[in-house]
Amino acid sequence: MNTRLASRLIIGTTLLFLIGPFVIIILAGLSAGDFMTFPPNGISLKWYLKVFTVESFRESFALSMFLAIFGTITALILGIPAAYAISRYDIPYAETIKTIVAAPIIVPGIIVGLALLRYLVVPLNFTVTLALFMAHTALVLPYAVRVVSSSLGNLRSDMEEAAVLLGCSRIGAFMRVILPNIQSGVLAAFILGFVTSFNQVPVSLFLSGPGVRTLPIDMLSYMEITYDPSVAALSALLAFLSVAIVFVAEKFLGFSRYV
Amino acid sequence: MSDSFVSLDKLSLAYGQSVVVPDLGLNIRRGELIALLGPSGCGKTTIMRAIAGLMTPHSGKISIDGRDVTKVPANKRGVGLVFQSYALFPHLTAFENVAFGLRLQKLPAAEITAKVEDGLQTVGLAHLADRKPAEMSGGQQQRLSLARSLVMEPKVLLLDEPLSNLDARLRLDMRTELQRVQRDTGITMVFVTHDQAEALALADRIVLMKDGLIEQLGTPDELYNKPKTKFAADFFGFENILEVVEQTLVGDQGRLPFVTAQRGGYLAWRPGAVSVGLGPYRGTVRGVAFAGEQREYVLEAASGQIKASTPAADPSFGIGDVVDFDLPLKHALELS
Repeated sequence: MNTRLASRLIIGTTLLFLIGPFVIIILAGLSAGDFMTFPPNGISLKWYLKVFTVESFRESFALSMFLAIFGTITALILGIPAAYAISRYDIPYAETIKTIVAAPIIVPGIIVGLALLRYLVVPLNFTVTLALFMAHTALVLPYAVRVVSSSLGNLRSDMEEAAVLLGCSRIGAFMRVILPNIQSGVLAAFILGFVTSFNQVPVSLFLSGPGVRTLPIDMLSYMEITYDPSVAALSALLAFLSVAIVFVAEKFLGFSRYV
Repeated sequence: MSDSFVSLDKLSLAYGQSVVVPDLGLNIRRGELIALLGPSGCGKTTIMRAIAGLMTPHSGKISIDGRDVTKVPANKRGVGLVFQSYALFPHLTAFENVAFGLRLQKLPAAEITAKVEDGLQTVGLAHLADRKPAEMSGGQQQRLSLARSLVMEPKVLLLDEPLSNLDARLRLDMRTELQRVQRDTGITMVFVTHDQAEALALADRIVLMKDGLIEQLGTPDELYNKPKTKFAADFFGFENILEVVEQTLVGDQGRLPFVTAQRGGYLAWRPGAVSVGLGPYRGTVRGVAFAGEQREYVLEAASGQIKASTPAADPSFGIGDVVDFDLPLKHALELS
């Protein structure tokens, strides 16, 4: 066997391993039968259409969108100044601060979820929605800080000084000169944060309440009761959505530079 | 002082605990083009940043046009700065880069357009108004940066190593450009450089700095021809600097006997001041180069290397020849 054939075989196997489950899910969702099976039992689009009629999916989708969008925006509002301060000023313990900020992605989600539930939601009597919002913000914050930091790192600080000497205040210089030059980094952070939040399971698992569930959690509990192909169809749709977002981001922003 | 436009009085500048400039007094005249010259780390950039208001003095006073500006923030000081890296705004076109400061002043649109076009015209970039900085050459970026500062009509324009990022030909263009702009606008300009040739060519006066102190201040002519200290002489390429110790001249290799009333300090001779062929000292020719009008020698004497040049018409020597030479006292330059 020559090396060319061997390398093709390895690449093929790897791709099959990575993409295979995705293909299986798409096909399982296309089943005409009433149970999730593979290979599918006949071909129909009915489960793909049914997804949109399930009331709880619509509600949890709305909640997930809300968390992903506003959680990420909040994380950016907190994260951009933090990233700016860390990259511009000689802050004592900057490395420690970075590590603490990154903690929510290092610590297992189960622990974060339990901790939030046990020490925040229960004693302070927070609503589940507020707790979810805070949790998602915290989880996205590390990405916001990291991605924005790396795009700030490419900017020279004398640009700001130039703006100040032309009459800007410090804040004005940031808004007029820095922000426009890191906007693709900010957008990249937004997309990354959005996807992270939207796909979040372990933390959200702890922070669900009556009628308040994120989409992935809702899918889990739906599957416990009803094992029909609609969850496969919904998964496939969500996967397509993620791929489309990342594809567009890569095409217009060069997304892979930041992640 | 009546002719002082920018005055630095007992200025002390420090980064945290490390004092860069201990005590500086400097008066810059209106409409003058002055060079802050010195090796890196001598405090010249720090002084410039202090004049701009980008750093707060530890103590002392900075006044511009009779007004104490020590506590005036950088954005209200009316000082322009052309950064070494140009610091252009990459997301804006050339036109918008120049318009940036004017827009902040909320001038009427027509006035802004007129001023920007005028500014771009001044630096010869009118045809590139719609380009982004990334689409311009280094020289064009530099001129754009200059135009951006000039349209603000600053009282003082500071330039940080204005020629250092340019190639030799552009450097000459820019030098001419700066002098012309300075003449046309009459703006007081202070530029920082480590290159003595640049300072000599451009400046009305040169402030030579060493370790945060003014080593010598004067016209290019004065600094080039009459450096007062060994450091200054060294900096301006003076050859043959020898220390005077008890009736001898001490070089890096050894000493030569020398009769002088001077008790210390240094004496220096330009190569042309050394007479070759006759004299009390002896040296071996280690190098000879024909340079048109004259012949340049490197002699190895007891004190070390001596550089000499003689008129090309004089008798010449070859490498390895042992020649007599003299260091005439009357042509010597005294240095402290």
